[in-house]
Amino acid sequence: MEQLLFAGGTIVAGVFGCVAWFWGSNWVLDGLYPPRGVDAGRNILRANMIRPWLFIGPAVLFLSLYLVYPVVNSAWRSLLDADSRAFVGLDNYRWLMGDVKFRESIFNNMLWLLVVPAASTFFGLLAAQVTDRIRWGNAAKSFIFMPMAISFVGAGVIWKFIYDYRAEGQEQIGLLNAIWTSLGHPPETWLTLPFWNNFFLMAVLIWIQTGFAMVILSAALRGIPEETIEAAILDGANPWQLFFKIKVPQIWGTIAVVWTTITIVVLKVFDIVFVMTNGQWGTQVLANLMYDWMFRGAPDYGRGSAIAIVIMALVTPIMIWNIRNARREML
Amino acid sequence: MKSLYLSAAVLALAAGAAAAQDLKFAPGEDARFNWASYEALKSMDLKGQKLTVLGPWLSADKDLVESVIAYFEAATGVEVDYAGSDSFEQQIVIDAEAGSPPDVAVFPQPGLAADLAKKGHLKPLADGTEQWIKDNYAAGDSWAAYGNYTGPDGQAHQYAFPYKADVKSLVWYVPENFEDAGYEVPTSMEDLKALTEQIVADGGTPWCIGLGSGGATGWPATDWVEDMMLRLNTPEDYDAWVKNDLAFDDPKVVAAIDEFGWFARNDAFVAGGAGAVASTDFRDSPKGLFASPPQCYMHRQASFIPSFFPEGTVIGQDADFFYFPAYAGKDLGQPVLGAGTMFAKLTENPAADAFITFLESPIAHEIWMAQTGFVTPYKAVNSEVYGDETLKKMGAILLNATTFRFDGSDLMPGAIGAGAFWTGIVDYAGGKPADDVAKSIQATWDTLK
Amino acid sequence: MSAIAGTKARLVWVVNLAALALVLLWTIPTFGLLVSSFRDRDQIANSGWWRASMSSEATSFVRAGTAADQAQEGELWVTAGNVLTEGQNLSAWGTNSRDPAAYAPGDVAELKDGQALSVAEDGTYRLTSPTEFTDQRGMRIFLTTTAPPKFTTGNYARVIGAEGLGQAFINTFTVTIPATIIPILIAAFAAYALAWMEFPGRALLIAGVVGLLVVPLQLALIPLLKFHNEIGLGKGYMGIWLAHTGFGLPLAIYLLRNYMVGLPREIIESARVDGATEFQIFRRIILPLSFPALASFAIFQFLWVWNDLLVATVFLGNRKEQLVMTGVLRELLGSRGGDWEILAASAFISIAVPLIVFFAMQKYLVRGLLAGSVKGG
Repeated sequence: MEQLLFAGGTIVAGVFGCVAWFWGSNWVLDGLYPPRGVDAGRNILRANMIRPWLFIGPAVLFLSLYLVYPVVNSAWRSLLDADSRAFVGLDNYRWLMGDVKFRESIFNNMLWLLVVPAASTFFGLLAAQVTDRIRWGNAAKSFIFMPMAISFVGAGVIWKFIYDYRAEGQEQIGLLNAIWTSLGHPPETWLTLPFWNNFFLMAVLIWIQTGFAMVILSAALRGIPEETIEAAILDGANPWQLFFKIKVPQIWGTIAVVWTTITIVVLKVFDIVFVMTNGQWGTQVLANLMYDWMFRGAPDYGRGSAIAIVIMALVTPIMIWNIRNARREML
Repeated sequence: MKSLYLSAAVLALAAGAAAAQDLKFAPGEDARFNWASYEALKSMDLKGQKLTVLGPWLSADKDLVESVIAYFEAATGVEVDYAGSDSFEQQIVIDAEAGSPPDVAVFPQPGLAADLAKKGHLKPLADGTEQWIKDNYAAGDSWAAYGNYTGPDGQAHQYAFPYKADVKSLVWYVPENFEDAGYEVPTSMEDLKALTEQIVADGGTPWCIGLGSGGATGWPATDWVEDMMLRLNTPEDYDAWVKNDLAFDDPKVVAAIDEFGWFARNDAFVAGGAGAVASTDFRDSPKGLFASPPQCYMHRQASFIPSFFPEGTVIGQDADFFYFPAYAGKDLGQPVLGAGTMFAKLTENPAADAFITFLESPIAHEIWMAQTGFVTPYKAVNSEVYGDETLKKMGAILLNATTFRFDGSDLMPGAIGAGAFWTGIVDYAGGKPADDVAKSIQATWDTLK
Repeated sequence: MSAIAGTKARLVWVVNLAALALVLLWTIPTFGLLVSSFRDRDQIANSGWWRASMSSEATSFVRAGTAADQAQEGELWVTAGNVLTEGQNLSAWGTNSRDPAAYAPGDVAELKDGQALSVAEDGTYRLTSPTEFTDQRGMRIFLTTTAPPKFTTGNYARVIGAEGLGQAFINTFTVTIPATIIPILIAAFAAYALAWMEFPGRALLIAGVVGLLVVPLQLALIPLLKFHNEIGLGKGYMGIWLAHTGFGLPLAIYLLRNYMVGLPREIIESARVDGATEFQIFRRIILPLSFPALASFAIFQFLWVWNDLLVATVFLGNRKEQLVMTGVLRELLGSRGGDWEILAASAFISIAVPLIVFFAMQKYLVRGLLAGSVKGG
């Protein structure tokens, strides 16, 4: 109870503090450079130079402290040894290039990059298209969107009930094996099947991300001018042609945005692998590898940081492309 | 004069009783306990001091360790705050690195403690602690060595105090199932292998083996390999292997891995087939012993595993264990593989020193012994205190071992013992040749040098 | 005409079926968890959740009475009793673990030393011997039984009470609410400045904010905890609120700016001409108009903070009474890996609140999302 009061107090104090800062600093500024009198013009100009920084100041402070500083810090520590004592130059990066697990992670991340955004976008597009044309479309959308609200730990438990394995002859309590054995196959330990287990992990992320893709794409589809579609129908286009030849090209930009957004999620993917296999059986990915080196066993902050820098280096071009694309979309 | 003493004693008792109301066993009552050692602790008056302890124990284990800590609190007046974490290994690293360490940490793996000692996060224990362990623990030299690490100054110090041991060389079975099938408990590795084949010939499955353990998947197999190392090679080879003076891909090590494979990679020998070994959770694995008909007859696992037996299982009757036997044909004695938790100081808090002193008192051991899941190599404790016959039997194994060796994966550097060894052995269970696995683990070890 | 109507009707069917298939695929995993969380613990481990409504077969054993329970009937020593619990039906029984279903109900098994055992269909058993029993522990009688489906809310009761989920629930709320509200406020002002104020370096700042979206959180943990320790904040709620604020800001600013920049220019310009200060414009015009985007980000941040495990374990500490729901769940996965009923019930409790919030507010979530990605920056 006490702690709820504390939390409530913080909210009030936080809100009050924020408002006080923004209102107060603006008031001070107006007092220093009153937009009246002889110097009104010059004062307004000066105040307008400063004011944006009042608005943006707290955000900049937070961002530099909580994100920029750690990034710079990590970049520096990636050049130091395990204990962050001695400078080792690019040794950590050189070590990465030769490390088997790192190569495995890069390969798996590429696999994820190829499959997850494509599959999520495809299913999202499909879901958007069908749910827009049925009466219970909104309800259907909610259900497909729902996994977004579920934590990765929760998802781990949920999918445990799908991938569980029982020895042959026992009753399977994992859904996938129940279906698989009823088709006459021996049960499989899905999460340890080399190579394919990656896809069983990806299924979880696709399950989570499809709803996001669907919502955005559905709005884009509805944004296509009626006339275009009617004209196509009059020209005798069948539903498939209508969809692939008319609609999809129209929303190409949005598809690209969805695709890249999911790509970024994929490159940072950590929780699913962490919870379900922890990178064993050939499912290691970069973010989990970094976590391993930073916090597990004999922590080597240098190597962990080097992997972090690699992840950011990989995400950045996609991010830039995404922003460019979004801007073109707007124009 | 006499009456004055008497009333003082009554007063003291009453005061003791008031402070001891949440003590599991009332001080002075049960004569099996060494209450003198408890009274002796009261000379350390640290009333009002605070002590934080971070350890790996949760739920039932947490209640147990807290029941022990309660005596320390009652005797010295220190307020102890014990926190358990299932991600202890990560938590302690983050806390130590960030500068908010607990006063005392309980390391399940000496390897990790050694890493932190080298980085300067651990504080050396009081002088004489090393000698104390050597004198008072069975196989004391080994035990002391597990807490002796190189500090940031390049000097070796006693950084950690071993408290609470686990015996790992145990095979669990259901005596009545053995009776039904007419099997005898094997006393040599040759017999154990013969029994394994016999069970298969009778249409049963001999073993339940599960390596799954979330982020730590693979560790149960490292115990198997270590046990095999001790049964195929000399203890000196084992020590060299742990330090990597004996290469991981040495034929001696590869042979030990393949010896584990003899059991685990044979579809007929393991419940669910060899394919299930890597993915079966180690906590689920022993349940096969209790199925009807039994899914397996034997399960090799450390002394803690009864916590994961079905509710109501009476150890010693419904389930029991035998010593994982050694080869009769090799002259290597009766080696025992074990493990233990290591208590280390991360701050110079006087209460932390007092806590280590508390752990040196017999009472700190006896309180947990009298409950469940605790064995100790401490020679001065009264083994009559053990909560059940099984614990007593395990304690005896520990005290009588001709060769006692600590869990090797815990002693190797974290990147090996809690990394490459785990994943390598999982790959091996999945069908990769022992030679390749050993080579890749050695390759990782080379990069750490 | 009718041919076209025919294809159309068929198409409607196809579309409906496709939608149904997708919805089923996407809900089945969660539904399985929901069903499992209400099932009896033995049944969870013995049959798939999709068979929850069917009776399940199980093999188990019970122990016959011991020497203390015996009675003498003429020449014979007899132990008797019932092996079934309520609701179970006996289909076979046995006395040896190797063949637990050797006998049908009503059969008599001849045992060693002239002993005999019979188990009737109603579960009553009768163990007879020509000599006095001396067993301290009853012999095992193996039973193959079918039990009707059993549903219970006991799993939930157990989880909420004993496993500390109740406290964790409160902790999670304490973490989540301020960690949702504070970043919104800070981001809203920044987003307004980035959208509608002219100043040098604006484009650079926008790019910087977007660039920070890609930072993997894990690398920030140790430097930040170190920083918190150095300024004396240590571990606690204040620290985790600040951390979540920092981590949530890039997305908040990005979403809100994209939305605000799409607001009609005329309204803002005319307000400026009318002499309104920036602060007034922000409060009277921008904030109310941006409500969908604010709500959308609030939901996002709420879900993210509620579901977070990593930040909480680092900044809040790991003592039992400090754990958030995901922390408890993870601990249960570790210590109760085999107890599926506990896992299922606690997992469902942990996702219940996000699901409620999600279903109640998804309208806004969608609107804000669209602002972020369709209209673009």
